[in-house]
Amino acid sequence: MLTYIVKRLLVGVPTLLAVLTVVFFFVRIAPGDPAFIILGDQASPQALAAVRHDLGLDQPMLAQYADFMAMVLRGDLGNSLVTHQSVWGEVAKVLPYTIELTLTALAIGTVLGLPLGVLAARRRNEFIDYAARFLSLLGLSFPAFVSAILLLLAFAIELRWFPVISEARANDPMSRLSALALPAVNLGLIMVAYVMRVARSSMLGVLGEDYIRTARSKGVPAGIVVWRHALRNALIPVVTVVGLYLGVLIGNSVLTEIVFNRPGLGKLIVNALNQRDYTMLEGLMVIYAFFIVIANLLTDLTYGMVDPRVKHQ
Amino acid sequence: MRYIRSMTVGVLTLGALLLGGGNVRAESVLNVGMAAADLGSLDPHRTATTPDKAIIGWMFNGLVRFKPGTMNPESIEPDLAESWDTSPDQLTWTFHLRKGVQCNNGYGELTSDDVVFSLKRAADPKVSSFSSDFADFASIEAMDAYTVTIKLKQRPPSLLGILTNYQGGNIVCKKAVEKLGDDFRTKAVGTGPFAFAEYTPNQSITLVANKNYFRGAPKIDKIVYRYIPSDATRDLAYTSGEIDLIYGRQDQVWAERMKSDPHTVVDVFGPGELSDMNLDITKKPLDDLRVRQAIAYAVNRAELVKFKGALTAREAVSIIPHDYLGTDEHAPLYPYDPEKAKQLLAAAGFANGVTIKAIQTTLPSMLNTMQIVQAQLKKVGIDLQLEVVDHPTFHAQIRKDLSQVVMYAAARLPVADVYLTQFYHSRSIVGTPTAVTNFSHCGMADAEIDGARTATDSAKQKELWKKAQDILVEQVCAVPLYEQLQVWAHRDKLDYGYKLDASLTLGPIVNETSTLK
Repeated sequence: MLTYIVKRLLVGVPTLLAVLTVVFFFVRIAPGDPAFIILGDQASPQALAAVRHDLGLDQPMLAQYADFMAMVLRGDLGNSLVTHQSVWGEVAKVLPYTIELTLTALAIGTVLGLPLGVLAARRRNEFIDYAARFLSLLGLSFPAFVSAILLLLAFAIELRWFPVISEARANDPMSRLSALALPAVNLGLIMVAYVMRVARSSMLGVLGEDYIRTARSKGVPAGIVVWRHALRNALIPVVTVVGLYLGVLIGNSVLTEIVFNRPGLGKLIVNALNQRDYTMLEGLMVIYAFFIVIANLLTDLTYGMVDPRVKHQ
Repeated sequence: MRYIRSMTVGVLTLGALLLGGGNVRAESVLNVGMAAADLGSLDPHRTATTPDKAIIGWMFNGLVRFKPGTMNPESIEPDLAESWDTSPDQLTWTFHLRKGVQCNNGYGELTSDDVVFSLKRAADPKVSSFSSDFADFASIEAMDAYTVTIKLKQRPPSLLGILTNYQGGNIVCKKAVEKLGDDFRTKAVGTGPFAFAEYTPNQSITLVANKNYFRGAPKIDKIVYRYIPSDATRDLAYTSGEIDLIYGRQDQVWAERMKSDPHTVVDVFGPGELSDMNLDITKKPLDDLRVRQAIAYAVNRAELVKFKGALTAREAVSIIPHDYLGTDEHAPLYPYDPEKAKQLLAAAGFANGVTIKAIQTTLPSMLNTMQIVQAQLKKVGIDLQLEVVDHPTFHAQIRKDLSQVVMYAAARLPVADVYLTQFYHSRSIVGTPTAVTNFSHCGMADAEIDGARTATDSAKQKELWKKAQDILVEQVCAVPLYEQLQVWAHRDKLDYGYKLDASLTLGPIVNETSTLK
């Protein structure tokens, strides 16, 4: 098992280097001048040239690439072109917020979505099934930022349970929790919609299998049929969706982060794009790719736990 | 018995002390909501964006300043300099500094060393975004601890304008810049009514009152400037009372909605950022004056203002913004006359229509303006094709001369020379080593602009500026559209302490006269 994990991580390294290379060239090909964005539209051409020189942007592209790769292989992601702070430093500051939001949303999505999907499958075409499918359709079609604003209106303005702007202070767990609640609910509910649909259709498929019929005719109680026998077999597609969605969640959280004014990786990426902050973008893309690699690894390991037929060497 | 009595006395004394201590005034905190994701730079010689400029207005002083609430160069008054003398040829200026002005955050008294350092820094292209404003400076010297002498190569149209608390004229404290280095960007130190206290990235920046401010201690103790990029969230935060001063939207509907609240005051103030359609006269078919005139006749300014909303926009009066020193308020702009436009096009050989291409930004306020203009031009047979790209791309491409039409919105120091030079003087043509923002490639008013610069008589100066505008308007180097005013809103418990008609920082000035009830 351990060798499997190490092997997977090693295979991930060339993936990361490839991502780095592609991102490096793509961002520099896109039009837009970081020096201009830093200095504004009244700066003289000399001032712009001076800043470009400071940032190393007047060198040939391949020379910049060589310098950059050398830096990365030393373990240094470089400094932001705009703030001059280390890329890793900026990311480390926001990473805890992104991870806690992603994991909480994931937990809400799975803990609520899975039982709901199973229930909808068991009581197929009854009221609860229709209700669940309708709500899931709502969740899938609602843009995240619209539901975010609705949540703010309901809980911050009408009910006054939370402030509109929650300042999550790093040392204060209560404030972190209160700042996490609404954003996590927002992303979590959308995830419930996905998980519920997949769980339901997968469950329906399994419940129609022969061995389920056998178990029932043997007299096994309905609860055990569903929750012990059927569920484990129905879990594979659910694990796949959750694993894929984990990767999506890290980047897609940007709209939620903007509406709730929360620091996060998504917001950092969007800002870096708008400011043409090349080094920041490259660093962020690598970290993002790294998370996808980890998410895929965790998904595969979970298959191993759920399905005893899967062996990892 | 005695025990109970002494206990009672003890408790009563404690109670009295606690209650008596309650006459300490609660801290007065102003919460501000700004539409930005994060701080760009607090360095006044660098910062280019509206969100940063507003806060800089609360932290720094210049040698002179615009009277708070105005941007009229004729209302410039002493700030860090108490008085000044000029030589007869107006090429040597001597400023006498106020004594006892303290730099914030414990950096000691402001002396001529700081002023010289600051001005030289603002003039240095390696460090400053505004170095070109100082092109006419020959030398800046400290004569003694409180006297600074500036020698000029030639007279800029308004030396005092350059030395106001605006852009390069903001004075920074030398020891702080040297000590903080790169950190100056997030911890800048000036002499203003408010000083930097704390910065939480992506969330807020906190300023505290400078109790030793030379005009008097501010009555507001703290300002918390919150970064809230989402418009909806910012509005909700204002509704819930979490912020009391909000950066608005330059939008009629928003202004009307805010106005309907009895406890909200909507601030609409200058500078009006002038939206101009610059036409590149070197590219066909715009090289033909008749085609340019047709475009000018086809544009309906009144309709544009109606769309933008009369609360926050007004028609342009000239190719430079209204109310600048030297603006011709009655410039001979081409009136709306679609028939005339069609005739001119036919005379130029385009009776069956003509196509022009423009690169346009996705920024909503600029995009929807161009879409309206596109519809207006279509009515006379001009097909304006818009290639829409994101904002940084737009700025990069228009400076590479890739667009026939460039819609630009800007405000500058309110002296005609600055706008005219940057947009309509031949040395500012894009793609040249001295490029600024001359997208039209016009140069026919160079003589008048240069003449006005060096004119010693202010009446002659205004006359030359008027002539320059007349020429440029007649030649249609640009079609002026409308001016968009700045829009903020505040709860009525905040009183600025002065009447806000204009503010070059694009935000209200919060200073020692401002109060929060």
